[in-house]
Amino acid sequence: MLQAESSPYIFSVLYDIIFQAPTYVIFLELSLLLLVIWIIIHKQSNGGKHLTQKQKEEIIKNWVSEPLVAEIDENHPALQNNHIVDGPIGKFITVDGIKCLNMATHNYLGLEEYPKIKENAINCIHKYGVGSCGPRGFYGTVDVHLELEERLAKFMDQEEAVVYSYAFSTVASAIPAYCKRTDIIFADECINFAIQKGIDASRSKVVYFKHNDMRDLEKKLQEQAKADQKNPKKAAKTRRFLIVEGIYMNTGEMCPLRELVELRAKYKLRLFLDETVSFGTIGKSGHGITELLCVDIKEVDLISASLENAVESIGGFCVGSHFIVEHQRLSGLGYCFSASQPPLLTQAAISALDIFEQEPRIFEQLNDVAEKVDEQFRYFTKLELKGHPLSPVKHLYLKHVDDLEESEKILRKIADECMKKGLAVVAAEYLPIEKFPPKRSLRITVNRLLTADDISNAYKIIEEVSKSIA
Amino acid sequence: MIAGGHGNQNPNEDWTMSKGFYMFYMLVVAVFHLILLSIPFISTPMAWTLTNITHNLAHLYFLHIIKGAPWQSIDSHEHIRETHWEQLDSGVHWTLQRKTLISIPIILFLLTCMYTRNDEIHFIANFISLIVCIIPKMPSFHHRRLFGINKY
Repeated sequence: MLQAESSPYIFSVLYDIIFQAPTYVIFLELSLLLLVIWIIIHKQSNGGKHLTQKQKEEIIKNWVSEPLVAEIDENHPALQNNHIVDGPIGKFITVDGIKCLNMATHNYLGLEEYPKIKENAINCIHKYGVGSCGPRGFYGTVDVHLELEERLAKFMDQEEAVVYSYAFSTVASAIPAYCKRTDIIFADECINFAIQKGIDASRSKVVYFKHNDMRDLEKKLQEQAKADQKNPKKAAKTRRFLIVEGIYMNTGEMCPLRELVELRAKYKLRLFLDETVSFGTIGKSGHGITELLCVDIKEVDLISASLENAVESIGGFCVGSHFIVEHQRLSGLGYCFSASQPPLLTQAAISALDIFEQEPRIFEQLNDVAEKVDEQFRYFTKLELKGHPLSPVKHLYLKHVDDLEESEKILRKIADECMKKGLAVVAAEYLPIEKFPPKRSLRITVNRLLTADDISNAYKIIEEVSKSIA
Repeated sequence: MIAGGHGNQNPNEDWTMSKGFYMFYMLVVAVFHLILLSIPFISTPMAWTLTNITHNLAHLYFLHIIKGAPWQSIDSHEHIRETHWEQLDSGVHWTLQRKTLISIPIILFLLTCMYTRNDEIHFIANFISLIVCIIPKMPSFHHRRLFGINKY
């Protein structure tokens, strides 16, 4: 016994340990040892799929490759209405060789009156070439980009701005930069396609509320608040976003920003405002809807806007506080992974901003023209005007036709006829994958340079054509 | 850090299989154990039990409690509600790294039993810690949150 306890041989020590232990301990230990051996031998399950060589060959044989280009229907609208536009686009536009009054493109401010912009852009080509084709974080940043960001932030009275090279990708990358899988987005039904794609990319849960219907939104927010009360642990980890447009591209209506800001405070939402149309068009100095409705810009968490409409360049930008904007420089996919905006277009945007700052009267003029168009275009016999009086984008709906396809056909015909008679308007085109297919309409854009004569002339043409077709 | 630039969308799946990781693992456990052993009033069985329990608690915390990944995934956080264990090998069971990570606590437990000479109190403490760290590793507990523990 004494010998065994102080035995120098490890085996006798082990022997002691094992045989002095209770039986259940030995039993447990042995079964654990067996478990380890079993785990090591156990094969990784393949989902129960073991194919024989024959089965494999059969699958390979039966596989048919899809054609690289799918066959296109001959009646596809893209093959039908081809219009060719020549020359510069300004107050007038040459479509299929006919000089038309332009109420189709989004250059609301008529900046072609200022040749300085073009001159500066050309000088910029001499200085920088046409761009580095590198993303901003990778040899793509040129000093004009930084200047534009600084100027935009100053113009919008925010801490910082970030410039994207394409307007569509601005909002489509800004949304998934913040909204993640576990979050909830409240969005208006009529938001434009870029925002819809951004929401898709975020994979968040989406709740759509009726267009500009604050009661519906509040009802849905209350429902969410109730669900949150039931599950406070989950609610603590979900963020709630509210996404609206300043002026809706698809309807021409303005969002009730004051009510939205109140709801934001009440339900602790993060508010994204897309000012694709409203930037540079409304407000005393063109700052957009926050200026027009006298809402403190700090109440809006993130503003994104396009440089393709009022500014007449290419690109888009987001403004907000330093923390919000800086996050996009690593998480905004459109910023990280696409080539930077060509410097000449950046320079054009800077020159346009110069004009915005020096001559704020252009916004007043645009609003006057928009109101005049609104007054006159209310009296069509077959068409109904919708849209806010100040909005530079207006929609004409058919009064008596509700069917989407039929109205689309009629509106296309009207647009074609108008173009033949010297007025360029477009039937708004939507992709079939829109979340809520908007009612088809004739989209009118207002140009600052339109005179009273031009407007009544346009009215006459549309009235005449729509009467004969619809 | 953004994941997926040049390789795995979720590097959390396989960094534990990278070169030298298990050497590092063993060294951390061994050094921790040696430090415990060198403290005068801790006996050898006590040191082993403490090593074992700490190791199992570390497993529980790092593999089964904290969720998500330190890498920011570009496809908006698929794994935000998955523990590290659930992310391993894209959720495939009985892969090599899973087998290794199950076997290590068991072997450590058996060693501890031997060095504590199967003392009853040590055995019970070690066994409970082993169960707590092994059960969530079982395939039937994949994505399952018992009693809603650690659900969000």
